[in-house]
Amino acid sequence: MDNQKNIYKKMLPIVILLLITSNIFAQKVVRYDLYVKDTIVNFTGKEKRAIAVNRQIPMPTLTFTEGDTAEIHVHNQLKESTSLHWHGLYLPNKEDGVPYLTQMPIEPNTTHIYRFPIIQNGTHWYHSHSGLQEQIGMYGSLILKKRTDDPTFRKGIDDLPTVPIILSEWTDYKPENVHRMLHNASDWFAIKKGTTQSYGEAIKAGHFKTKLTNEWKRMLAMDVSDVYYDKFLINGTSEHQLTRFKAGDKVRLRIANGGASSYFWLTYAGGKIKVVANDGNDVEPVDVDRLIIGVSETYDIIVTIPAENTSYEFLATPEGRTKSVSIYIGSGIKQLVSPLPKLKYFEGMKMMNDMMNMDGTMNDMGMDMSLQQMDMNTIMYPEITGDKEPMKMDKMQEMENMNHSQHSSINSDIVTLNYAMLKSPTITTLPEDAPVRDLKFELTGNMNRYVWSMDNKVLSETDKILIKKGEIVRITLYNNSMMRHPMHLHGHDFRVINGQGDYAPLKNVLDIMPMETNVIEFEANLEGDWFFHCHILYHMMAGMNRVFSYENQAPNPLLPDKKWAYKKLQRESNELHFMFQNDFATNGNDGMTMLQNTRWSFGTEWRLGYHDRHGYETETHIGRYIGRNQWLMPFVGFDWRYRKQNGDFEKNIFGQTNTKDNRTQFSLGVAYTLPMLVILQTEIYHDGNLRVQLRREDIPLTKRFRASFMVNTDKEYMVGLNYIAGKNLGFRTHYDSDMGFGIGLTLNY
Amino acid sequence: MAITVLLSFTACNAQIKNAKTESVKIYGNCGMCENTIEKAGNVKKVAQVDWNKDTKMATLTYDPSKTNQDEILKRIALAGYDSDQFLAPDDVYDNLPGCCQYERVKKTEVILTEVVTDHSMHNHDSTTDAKSETKQEVKELKVVFDNYFALKDALVKSDGNLASAKAKDLLNALNAVQMNQLSNEEHTVWMKVMKDLKFDTEHIEETKDVGHQRDHFNTLSDNMYQLIKVSKQVTPTYYQHCPMANDGKGANWLSKENGVKNPYYGSQMLTCGKTVETIE
Repeated sequence: MDNQKNIYKKMLPIVILLLITSNIFAQKVVRYDLYVKDTIVNFTGKEKRAIAVNRQIPMPTLTFTEGDTAEIHVHNQLKESTSLHWHGLYLPNKEDGVPYLTQMPIEPNTTHIYRFPIIQNGTHWYHSHSGLQEQIGMYGSLILKKRTDDPTFRKGIDDLPTVPIILSEWTDYKPENVHRMLHNASDWFAIKKGTTQSYGEAIKAGHFKTKLTNEWKRMLAMDVSDVYYDKFLINGTSEHQLTRFKAGDKVRLRIANGGASSYFWLTYAGGKIKVVANDGNDVEPVDVDRLIIGVSETYDIIVTIPAENTSYEFLATPEGRTKSVSIYIGSGIKQLVSPLPKLKYFEGMKMMNDMMNMDGTMNDMGMDMSLQQMDMNTIMYPEITGDKEPMKMDKMQEMENMNHSQHSSINSDIVTLNYAMLKSPTITTLPEDAPVRDLKFELTGNMNRYVWSMDNKVLSETDKILIKKGEIVRITLYNNSMMRHPMHLHGHDFRVINGQGDYAPLKNVLDIMPMETNVIEFEANLEGDWFFHCHILYHMMAGMNRVFSYENQAPNPLLPDKKWAYKKLQRESNELHFMFQNDFATNGNDGMTMLQNTRWSFGTEWRLGYHDRHGYETETHIGRYIGRNQWLMPFVGFDWRYRKQNGDFEKNIFGQTNTKDNRTQFSLGVAYTLPMLVILQTEIYHDGNLRVQLRREDIPLTKRFRASFMVNTDKEYMVGLNYIAGKNLGFRTHYDSDMGFGIGLTLNY
Repeated sequence: MAITVLLSFTACNAQIKNAKTESVKIYGNCGMCENTIEKAGNVKKVAQVDWNKDTKMATLTYDPSKTNQDEILKRIALAGYDSDQFLAPDDVYDNLPGCCQYERVKKTEVILTEVVTDHSMHNHDSTTDAKSETKQEVKELKVVFDNYFALKDALVKSDGNLASAKAKDLLNALNAVQMNQLSNEEHTVWMKVMKDLKFDTEHIEETKDVGHQRDHFNTLSDNMYQLIKVSKQVTPTYYQHCPMANDGKGANWLSKENGVKNPYYGSQMLTCGKTVETIE
């Protein structure tokens, strides 16, 4: 303990340790001072803004022992408000650190003190719960040590040397911009990751039909992750060596996934990985070859160093597998582990096609699919299903290699951890006589518009869910979306019903894969308002949240006006996202701008010629997306155009006429997304004219080429081809029935 | 003229800016190794590797502002070639062509003395004492079941030829069953399912199309399940289920192992499924 104190003193000059002797066990107050400050980092060769705490990214590792009282002084030196959430901890609601739910935001240049008793042990972490601050540095390890006299102290596990490990990712884009781009279905990230899955690539891979079916079912290219990251980090760096360990040593890694949206595969070059705890709770040791750690989960694993003068690679590979990050454990020559091969995206697409119904729902497999046991993505893993496309090699070598690699690259003996393998060492049953409250949530989403919800409702469309103290809340979760979601409950651990009976493991984050159904239960024993949400930061900010609120709870002194605060919270996760696009072409300007949130869309399009004969026209639509898939959007519109055509009239195919040159019209209409993602727009104007239009944008021909077309009953049509040169830049050529042929430069935001 | 030639030469060299050159040892054998090593190490305009198969020495030329020796050597190690900094992953080394499997420096493994306290590995073989009078019956159908499992394994490997051959064995076994050796229960079920068992097995034998074989394997497994339920077995059998097979209607099979190896998808979805019943 003394040693520990010295370390604190060295690291943080203001650490004060008070001893409270009211108990026989010397109860200790452990104080940390955290200074939150803007900083400039350089992970990629470019200087970017980040947030550092005590000049560190990640934030300093906080260590407590069960029985301590934590006192954490947060000094906000930012120009914006902040907060800190203690992930996985049982603590009084007002210490939970969710702004507008359990406290007011910590305003700039103020200090907030979190103070709570440590009544559990295990590997946890902490992070900002304000906006997107977690993405740019505000995450850190939180280690709660077991007392050596704890009856659950496990010799050979709890007495091993430990290394806290926090995984994270870095993007040079501002997280707000990432968020906005996701909502605008920008496929720039896919281009960066090489996962566009265009028609051209599909044909090359012999999967044209797969791509066609995929679009017929109105799906955009699917991916296992949304965001392109420049770097992945372990404890804030991309590669380092733990040289203090030698052959024969066992090392306990306390791993927390502090990434904002990345799942990581964990593999080790020195043999099996022994999993001993999950989400801060002990589990019966289980040996595996690899495991996936969901966003915000924690795992404690033990690895062994098998040989002398060798350092073994511990590799964390994000699920998208485009990059990886490693540490080397031991000193000496570095023994590498095989990197995970690239995903076979079209195989995944094929599988998705089979699972997706025409009405946009997934096949409900009931409890047949649960607990990560059937990983649908397996179909994309070459290390398990074999590599169908032979790697590009010299012919000679290829032939030579064929015989060797074919049987050995298909390795079905890889043991992958799943939730069914987790077993608590102690009985975790809940009181038998307590009333049970059954809740059911369907996780829903719309990839095309990046809407993520529960029961098709985002936080801003729901009230708090009232629960009673003393009851058992049993939640059935069914994932009817195309992505996996790490669902996190604040303030409580829940039992995962996984076939281990009385020894069901305790967790606070549940990764749920598409089409899975899982059941969790917890005892409502800690008063307050507790967040229950998807821990993928951008899903949370899109509204995939709920709040469990205890009935008749005592008022929260930190949050006097709860009603108002809840409205603030709701608004935060349903922001309007701005989008702009203009094509500066030889025949005119084509563009649009849009403001959208979960349900509403405000958009204006324009076509502006360079002279009166080509004319000028704009169409403005205000619409609301209807239904789970948001294929239907009724709208009201306003059209205006001016063109010098000497008073000509034009006739539409219904025989209705209208003036070509000067026109101001209100309209009512409806847009509907047809299979193949073609938008059918039917509009009736206040002069009784009817217009039906078919339109499709962004047909992915190749990695960077996009085609588009439009045709309507006013006998107007347009075809275009767009080349995406950069995040905000493209080249476009198109032919328009009004304005003729044009080449131009497209800017978008 | 001479100047242009000279210029183009310098241009070639100048492809890598501020080039730094180092010489390191990389283990390997032959010309093919050289190809792989250099290809793995080279990055256009950033790094160039020239390996000599006789001296095993490589000349690394690289732009130190963009990369470093470690990055280059790591790439080479991931292609299968050890250096003094990195050891290639064993499976990558094993996959090198035979002529390239150079002699590796042996690591000194530390022998860990560890008391194995694993309670989860109860060996099921300890329940072998079946009564002697049932032994005969066990044998009668055992050949059938064994051949079924062999057929299943062939389907796990998605090997249509092998499955067809195994189906033939199974058919022989089915035809060889002596009904008077069966217990009453077995006899009843046998009479019920025998025809279908033979029907499905014949069809699996007739084709080499794995898809078609799997269709029949589905019904074959259902009937086999009925039979094994009433037949006493020395070791447990696991009745397993994959909800996705059979166009999402789900399908079952029997296995001797608890771990799932799906015969309906083969390697595509090898571990899809779960044990729904343990038959002992």
